[in-house]
Amino acid sequence: MMKSLKTNFTALLALTGASSAFAATPLQLTSDVYVERQTERADGTKKVTLEKPTLVTPGDSLVFVVKYKNVGTETASNFVVTNPLPAAVKFDGTSDGLEIVSVDGGKNWGILGNLRVAKADGTTRPALRSDVTHLKWNLNQPLTVGAEGKLIFRGVVK
Amino acid sequence: MKTRKLLRHRLDTGRHSIATALLTSCILAATLSANPAHAAGTLAGTDIQNIASATFDTAGGPVTIQSNTVVIKVDELLDVTVASTDPGDVTTSPGATGNVQTFRITNTGNGDEAFGLTANVANGGDDFDPTLQQIVIDTNNNGVFDAGVDTVYTSGVNDPVIAPDQSVTVFVITTTPAGVVDTNRANVSLNAVARTGTGTPGTSFAGAGQGGGNAVVGSTTAQATANGFLAVRATSVVLLKSATILDPFGGNRPVPGAVVTYSLVATVSGTGTMNNLVITDPIPVGSQYQTGTITLEAAALTDAADADAGAFTGTSITVAAGNVPAGQTRTVTFRVLIP
Repeated sequence: MMKSLKTNFTALLALTGASSAFAATPLQLTSDVYVERQTERADGTKKVTLEKPTLVTPGDSLVFVVKYKNVGTETASNFVVTNPLPAAVKFDGTSDGLEIVSVDGGKNWGILGNLRVAKADGTTRPALRSDVTHLKWNLNQPLTVGAEGKLIFRGVVK
Repeated sequence: MKTRKLLRHRLDTGRHSIATALLTSCILAATLSANPAHAAGTLAGTDIQNIASATFDTAGGPVTIQSNTVVIKVDELLDVTVASTDPGDVTTSPGATGNVQTFRITNTGNGDEAFGLTANVANGGDDFDPTLQQIVIDTNNNGVFDAGVDTVYTSGVNDPVIAPDQSVTVFVITTTPAGVVDTNRANVSLNAVARTGTGTPGTSFAGAGQGGGNAVVGSTTAQATANGFLAVRATSVVLLKSATILDPFGGNRPVPGAVVTYSLVATVSGTGTMNNLVITDPIPVGSQYQTGTITLEAAALTDAADADAGAFTGTSITVAAGNVPAGQTRTVTFRVLIP
């Protein structure tokens, strides 16, 4: 069964300390990674479970969860979350497709279908998921006090 | 070493409403793709580090924060393939030593791994079992067996350590028993096992992986076997002797004065060529060889031991028929007189 998504409070405390240069840390941002396992039930159907990644090998499917919450006392606006993709992970999509991506290390951004990658001969080709280096979400609603949400994307260990 | 990237990119495309999808719905909607057998991939021991950052504006100005860092170590996948790289059956002959069969072992896992090698010369379903002489590792990596240069393999002593996606060529050296006949085949197989461990896919060995992680058996079960075949190519010869008699009276009785024409037909069968076939026949006691009557394939030969293929030694005739391909015959004739 799916394990509950526990907030890593230790990390949050560390985060608070690291951000003390600001007047306050009104937002919490936490990152979790799960590995997806497929097992076959007795009747032949497949069951998919998410586990804490104790064993990860090339080809495994990972689910990344970025949670955010406004724990401050004022509304945050122009809220943008960026997640560089680990080098050993190939992007495998999001559930809602609301992200924009970069295929050049974060210089240019756009919807994946609109991006192109330069080839050695000087021409370009359409960008693929395997080209993605960064993910970004632009949330156009002000994040009011207490508001929270999560961003989910999938990857495959190269 | 953890690397933290601080990204301060602002909005540059259309904005979207906050995604509120639950994790469960995400999984149900996700396409489940079967994991193909990966060759190598991310090296064992590599850390996958994930960190997210966020920027936003407050009354006090823009703020950037970072999430915690999640670190996952990539474990070692134990996978191997073995293939026979001979273009076809390796030709041998009865009693031949030093048959060389070539195999390639490829580490399809993602970590450096030592592999134990075993050759099996006693497989069923074939015609004979050769004797194993040696397993030899192609140390100079030229794909060719170099006796005295390439290293003889000893299990557990010099197990080849193969890097991810790399291959090692191995030679299996065998001897063919004397009793085999043409077209006999022998299956010689080579097995490679990951020294870290084998088992059903998913079996894990805690802490045994390269780089400090675990080692996990991959889809190949961390061992593999390939078959290679020896095929006997042998020729044999059958000599058939006949005689025709011409007596002084025009008949065919063996009376004094009769001339006997002997015909020796050598038939080569099997596969390949019989080299340096020499046909000899003693002159029957009590008969007299008629000089200059040796023929090979109806062509006359001289009696002298010279460049010509025929010779009369005083007691027998001999004809060097040379190299005769299987399926062909050579016919020698000579005549004697019954005194």
